[in-house]
Amino acid sequence: MAEEKYLTRREFIAAMAAVGGSIAVAAALSEVDSLRDLIERELALELPDVVREAKGHTVDGTHHWAMLIDLRKCIGCQYCVYACQAVNDVPDDMRWNVYHPEVTDTGIPFHMTRPCLHCNDAPCVSVCPTRATWQRDDGLVVMDYQLCIGCRYCQVACPYDARSFNWQEREGPSGYQPEWGNAEVDRRPRGVAEKCTFCIHRIDRGLAQGLVPGEDRAATPACVNICPVEARVFGDLNDPDSKISRLLKELPTFRLREDLGTEPNVYYVPPEGMAI
Amino acid sequence: MTAMIGTVRRQVQTAPLFSFWLFVLGIMVIVGLISGIRVLWYGLEVTNLTDRVPWGLWITVDLSAIALGAGAFSLSTVAYIFRVKSFERIARIAVFVGFVGYTSAMLALLMDIGRPDRFWHPVIYWNIHSVLWEITMCVILYSMVLVFELAPAVLESDFVARRFARGPRLGHFLHQFTPAVSIVGLGLSLLHQSSLGATYGVLVARPVWFKPSLPVMFILSAVAAGSIVTLALTVFYENMIRQRQIETRLRNAVAMFGGLLMMGYLYLKLWDFLATAYYSHVPERVQANNLLETATPYGLTFWWIEIVVGALVPAIIMLTPRLRRQDSWVVVAGLLAIVGVVVNRWNVTLSGLVVPMDWSPGAAELFPVREYVPAMSEWGVAIGVLGYALLMLTLGLRFLPLFPKSHEKGHH
Repeated sequence: MAEEKYLTRREFIAAMAAVGGSIAVAAALSEVDSLRDLIERELALELPDVVREAKGHTVDGTHHWAMLIDLRKCIGCQYCVYACQAVNDVPDDMRWNVYHPEVTDTGIPFHMTRPCLHCNDAPCVSVCPTRATWQRDDGLVVMDYQLCIGCRYCQVACPYDARSFNWQEREGPSGYQPEWGNAEVDRRPRGVAEKCTFCIHRIDRGLAQGLVPGEDRAATPACVNICPVEARVFGDLNDPDSKISRLLKELPTFRLREDLGTEPNVYYVPPEGMAI
Repeated sequence: MTAMIGTVRRQVQTAPLFSFWLFVLGIMVIVGLISGIRVLWYGLEVTNLTDRVPWGLWITVDLSAIALGAGAFSLSTVAYIFRVKSFERIARIAVFVGFVGYTSAMLALLMDIGRPDRFWHPVIYWNIHSVLWEITMCVILYSMVLVFELAPAVLESDFVARRFARGPRLGHFLHQFTPAVSIVGLGLSLLHQSSLGATYGVLVARPVWFKPSLPVMFILSAVAAGSIVTLALTVFYENMIRQRQIETRLRNAVAMFGGLLMMGYLYLKLWDFLATAYYSHVPERVQANNLLETATPYGLTFWWIEIVVGALVPAIIMLTPRLRRQDSWVVVAGLLAIVGVVVNRWNVTLSGLVVPMDWSPGAAELFPVREYVPAMSEWGVAIGVLGYALLMLTLGLRFLPLFPKSHEKGHH
């Protein structure tokens, strides 16, 4: 175990070194907040140590949460990955939010990231034998870890590899804590599946406090907050004035594997050189 | 203690082969217990399953055990619903094989789920849109049917009759309901045997699986192989006790039944291949098949083993009077049918999982072909489940009246 943690730290340092240069350039070019500021603002959010998932919280259909990822802007820094790992206390060998270096058909490199897509017709929801995974009226595809029997059918069914399983009991802190944030949710037990929640704990608590997810940082997913180039936008599709609704009208967007009919709630703006 | 040792010694002296057989089974069960405890203690970490190949050997065991138990409902359907009286003679052993198959499958499944303590959740928290939920409910209900159908055999056994005088009469009473219960059982087992195929067939993102033929192929192969295996076990048992249990006519009828269904299955499989891979060219499926062919052991050539050795040969044996007359050929057919079903269920499961799903919009080769080789602990549990099944079959044949002497006539 100790060896793994060592590796993680090394991986972290390597990642820092690798992206440091590009971040410096990007920061200079686009006048973004410096990383330290971003993380400090994130850590300063008034969050209790551990926010339990709001079970039984009634969600009416007035909101419909969605995310926009602008692949033209993404610089591949992977901060979204690291912040997610820390805030959701995701084990180091697991990813809710993944990053891949990609290339267009015409050979132009771009950076691909993928949270859970929170599909409106999610295969993982329909196959779950116990309703441990379901979709709320506000569009979020969420899990009840108390119901999950660990059959892993959701993993087999998800077209996007967005499902993870707890093969073992997790010990020790995440390799990304506290540098990238602190755990805001309970760690999941051995033997259950899990997935990205769009930081549901922030959304529900924020709404209860009168905040607007996507605008108020305390009510917005960690990956969106941490992005130094604002490539990720989060918000309410049912609100025509929300930033995401406006951008979806203005920009050309596509969704992953639309041919499967899963109706994802994550929209992508294509990178330079990709026709959609 | 000394009495026990004496009994064991006498047993070994009078039946050395049988004692050796029990010894082997004991070892298998112990291996299974050790592996099972390890899995429960350390969790699924001790397997070679991963997030990308989350199902493996145990699912294969589970699917195969249920499939091979399908003789239970098919032969008792012929006996009790179509009222072919002669089939009643083999219906009870078929039900017993079914019971062993289903309990084995449950053992394997219990190991496979991450939270065995919550195995009952689907019964309470229904998701009627889930094929797996439907399977769980049907398997649970059908197991009850099997227990009911098997109850007369247990109640009539010497062991019970000696201690509970009314046992046999209660058995007769329960047996009256067998035809009605068989109809319920027919519905339940048809449904879930097919849904096991649908488990794969409904997944739109998996080009190898996504097709409507899987549910039908699962049920057909199960009924065919299940019947052949039941017949082979019967013939094997006849040789062990040197006494015929079923008439030649019944033997021929069951052989024809299994053989013809197996041919039907092969015909469907042929057209499944022709329709999805030969005459049509869905790009994703073509790509997946190419990948299976070039980068995995699950290419078409491998499937031929399953089809020729595991299905065509047993079908030919069953349909050729000269071959099925000989006991050794029938037993060989049974063993090959088992191989055919196990290899088929493994192929279906793994071929679908090892082909990666490309969800990324770019052109980079992001998703390598997945690999999976079962871990020691997985083999251990599989051996344990097999040991359990063989032990149950051995004890059942030894102590239960599985070939009732014309049940109906005795009563009237």
